[in-house]
Amino acid sequence: MPSSSSAALEILNLHKRFDEPAVNDLSLSVREGEFYALLGPNGAGKTTTLRMVAGLLQADAGAVRICGVDAFADPVAAKKVLAWVPDEPMVYDKLTPLEYLEFVAGLWSMDADLARFKADSLLDSFGLGPHANERCGRFSKGMRQKVALAGALIHEPRLIILDEPLTGLDAGSARQVKTVLSGLVAQGVSIVMTTHILEVAERMADRIGIIARGQLVAEGTLEELRDRASADGNTLEDIFLNIVGGAGGETPMGQASAAEEKVA
Amino acid sequence: MSARAAPSALMRFSRHEVRLAWRDWSWMFSGWRNTSLRRALIGMGLFYAVMHLVAYAVLSPYVTTGLVLDQTALAMLSVTVLLSFTMMLSQAMESVTRVFYARDDLDLILSSPAPSSDLFLVRIVIMALTSWVMSALVISPFVNVAVGLGGARWLAGYLVLFAVSLTATGLGVLVTLALFRMVGAQRTRLTAQILAAVVGAAFLIGLQVVAILFFGSMSRFTLFDPAFLASHAPAAGSPWWFPAHAVAGAALPVLLLVAGSVVFFAAGAWCGAVQFRRIVILALGVTEKTPRAKASARAFRAYSPLGALVHKELKLIIRDPWLVSQTLMQVLYLIPPAVMLWVSFGQNTEISVIIAPVIVMAVGQLSGGLAWLTISGEDAPDLIATAPISAFTRLWAKVLSVLTLIAALMLPITLGLALVSLWGAVVTFTGAMCAAASAILVQLWFRAQAKRTTFRRRQVASKASTFAEAAASIACAGATALIAAGSPLALLPLVLLMIVLGVSWSIRPRRGVVA
Repeated sequence: MPSSSSAALEILNLHKRFDEPAVNDLSLSVREGEFYALLGPNGAGKTTTLRMVAGLLQADAGAVRICGVDAFADPVAAKKVLAWVPDEPMVYDKLTPLEYLEFVAGLWSMDADLARFKADSLLDSFGLGPHANERCGRFSKGMRQKVALAGALIHEPRLIILDEPLTGLDAGSARQVKTVLSGLVAQGVSIVMTTHILEVAERMADRIGIIARGQLVAEGTLEELRDRASADGNTLEDIFLNIVGGAGGETPMGQASAAEEKVA
Repeated sequence: MSARAAPSALMRFSRHEVRLAWRDWSWMFSGWRNTSLRRALIGMGLFYAVMHLVAYAVLSPYVTTGLVLDQTALAMLSVTVLLSFTMMLSQAMESVTRVFYARDDLDLILSSPAPSSDLFLVRIVIMALTSWVMSALVISPFVNVAVGLGGARWLAGYLVLFAVSLTATGLGVLVTLALFRMVGAQRTRLTAQILAAVVGAAFLIGLQVVAILFFGSMSRFTLFDPAFLASHAPAAGSPWWFPAHAVAGAALPVLLLVAGSVVFFAAGAWCGAVQFRRIVILALGVTEKTPRAKASARAFRAYSPLGALVHKELKLIIRDPWLVSQTLMQVLYLIPPAVMLWVSFGQNTEISVIIAPVIVMAVGQLSGGLAWLTISGEDAPDLIATAPISAFTRLWAKVLSVLTLIAALMLPITLGLALVSLWGAVVTFTGAMCAAASAILVQLWFRAQAKRTTFRRRQVASKASTFAEAAASIACAGATALIAAGSPLALLPLVLLMIVLGVSWSIRPRRGVVA
């Protein structure tokens, strides 16, 4: 188990059980400035794992360290350097993107002038500049997702957790988002992302973790996974299906999410 | 072998709607737990039995000696019919608007070859029947006791109620259609909801205001004074009393009422059915019109996390006209005490004893709605939960938002009251803030994450919290009135308040989520 002081995220022996184990003794580590893609079939435990990391779900056992801070012992300190972007964009219909970003900046106690500068810059990067003063209620899902992403980035997090961030984005918007994320990684920000678009993981991720039935069944660079899957020359899709094909990983439909809802 | 004919669209929609209605009803009372449904049914059965005893106590002095249909009796029966009508009309307007605007399954149904007008007809008939059954459940103990004591002719009460529900539903459809024509799809929803709330409250409030102006009394029952009725109401033989005669079992009025209501309902349903598809398409095409502000060069304000949360809550509430209208409708009930205060200004320093409980009740209910909006109705729960703030700050910000709004509302009322009675003003303000605090506590204990747009269903989501909120408001109102009157009996409602809050705390749902 790799563990070092330069780890942006360390998950140690994480357990979560609903009606049956959703995350089972899962450990992984993400380095600073690393783009880590977490893949797995539906119901494999990806979102449950990331929600525990973000402090949205209580773990049964295990530990999570974010940039060296024990996230379970000192959640407020851990959240200062963390950003979470769920697959369903959660923005307020009655606020404009600028007002939303001002609100987020307040939550993270940012300097107001810096926040305003960052807000303009992020909205321009995502092509939202012309819509900065329109209320989000009339935005498409893709636009709302970009507003949520801007909110996640405005406070300059060191670790960004993205759960299916490209869902609902058109090709142009997806490219904008990928460009911004690549730029952040180049600046030393760590990113953990779940996605079902394997091409994105293949192109962007430094390392890939594959999770099935709540356990990490494979981890490494694309080449390492290719070696492990004995599928030389194949795409990530072939490797992924080769690895999880036997392991399965899908829990009965909706069980984990339903149980999560019950807990929340 | 003969192929079985496929059921008609009307039949299929009927089955579908009845199944959905039953499941909705079961969920409302049980949360899908069989034991809870059993308990709910037993509880309702007991309540129903007790209501028969209450009805017996109320009616037996009149009916057993042979009820004379004098002006007072006719007025009481007419007021009951009119009250039922306004309540049902208010409910019908709400429901009809929902039929047109709720997206739920309309995308599927409108894109299918099934005739959508059939769906409207089924929904409108179910609406009228539900309205009849629900009001019959409330009124039936009185009708049953009247039948037992005064004979079968009082069974006509059920027919009158049926006619009233048909008329109210039909009128609800016609009013909503007229609104679409007059104000357009963009504004109909909000206008209909405000109108529904006003219609629901106007009759009761109107009676109370008349009682205040004529008798200086907050009690609506003073209007049934024989001398007042003799000089202001129609004579006993007037055709205006025909609904009352119908309730009492007179054949011709019952026949006319039922026949007229059936025709009226059919006309409303037909008008709605033929326009259903067109209106739904208009309603679904409504996009929120928002002010497009000029490019703002305004600097961000430096908020603390607490300040940012409070500012956000206030901004969201103020910007949502529908939520504001739904919530502030409670303020309508403050009109009678305001009239009372105005009428007796400078004459009666004990006025606070009369109006304080009304204010406290209204504030309690208002606080419940606002507390739900801020505490449970969070549209970005993940954002708030992942912000580096403590759970206490998170909740305190929401509590502070509600208290700020309530204090802003109470300030002018308290100042007005202080001009009449300083003691009354202090007691009323304190009572109102206690009612607000109780409602907030109940909402904190029973909080369940939901979209703000589901505000209307908040009372459906937890019957326990709705009951606790109402009971706490009643206890606060009682205590306030008794303290204002200087009565030591104030201890009793205060103890009741403690019991209500204690029980609510003990049955609150357990939470496993990380703070």
